[in-house]
Amino acid sequence: MSESAELERAYRRLVAFYPRSFRRENEEEIVTVLLATAPDGQRRPGIAESIDLIRGAARMRMSLSRTPHTVLNAVRLMYLGAVAELGVLIVLWLTEGSIRAAVAHQYPMLTAAQVGQLNTVFTVDLAVGAAVVPLWLLMAWGNSKGSQLARLAAIVCFALSTAGMVTDAVTGSPQFAPAAFTAAGVVWLIGLAAIVNLFRKQSMAYYERQAAL
Amino acid sequence: MQEATFLILTALADGTQHGYGIISEVTKISGNRVRLRAGTLYTALDRLRADGLIDVDREEVVDNRLRRYYRLTPTGTTRLAAEAERLQANATAALTRLNPSLGMI
Repeated sequence: MSESAELERAYRRLVAFYPRSFRRENEEEIVTVLLATAPDGQRRPGIAESIDLIRGAARMRMSLSRTPHTVLNAVRLMYLGAVAELGVLIVLWLTEGSIRAAVAHQYPMLTAAQVGQLNTVFTVDLAVGAAVVPLWLLMAWGNSKGSQLARLAAIVCFALSTAGMVTDAVTGSPQFAPAAFTAAGVVWLIGLAAIVNLFRKQSMAYYERQAAL
Repeated sequence: MQEATFLILTALADGTQHGYGIISEVTKISGNRVRLRAGTLYTALDRLRADGLIDVDREEVVDNRLRRYYRLTPTGTTRLAAEAERLQANATAALTRLNPSLGMI
């Protein structure tokens, strides 16, 4: 075996300490640089060089679990979303009387069946809102761990929230329940900001690396 | 910002560099004081890419060996400029305070 082949094998043994996902992308390049910086005739890696590679591998393994600030921003926004969703529930609960009055004013001839439908709408809105609060918290927790499932859940929830906002706008929520509609709009904007952060380049790389670990 | 990080970003400030090129540039910029080793360099490059300060510009194969060229991102340029200004301000403050005493020697 030639000196350079022997040295390359020794370098590759040291680079093997790095995480697989990192090696897959960088091993050839690191070995190239190591060989380029090695003095002529060197057969084995020096002690300082070996320590540097092992230390680099240890740091790399630790840094792979480091969450980038874009994901942290998204997670913080999701916690804020949970609080804001709670705010929507409170606004809806507090303004229920004025919403009913606005509907009654617009449609004075409501039948008992239609009043029943209105009651159902209130109940469903409050139930969905109450279910969404823990969902925000669950998504925040999952995304902080780099879970692809949690990111997918955030995307699906945002799509549903967008559809809900459009439906509410079309069915007259801004007219009958302006406060609740505005509060829901704030929640939607928080969701939008969280989604934008989840799709930033650093976030994408983080989820890919977490999946490869 | 650590000195090695600052020097790596500085090495990329006026154009793309591959790994070996960055090591050579850092040695030159620091006046032979800092000699980056491969382990330190690639740990730093990985972190800088994750933070969006640098990115891969292109890859080439030379003599059957991979060469990956890195470049500063706009965020990296801004961060480097801010750090350079901070260091310059600190150095100016230090020299300003030292000069009167130096003048007395």
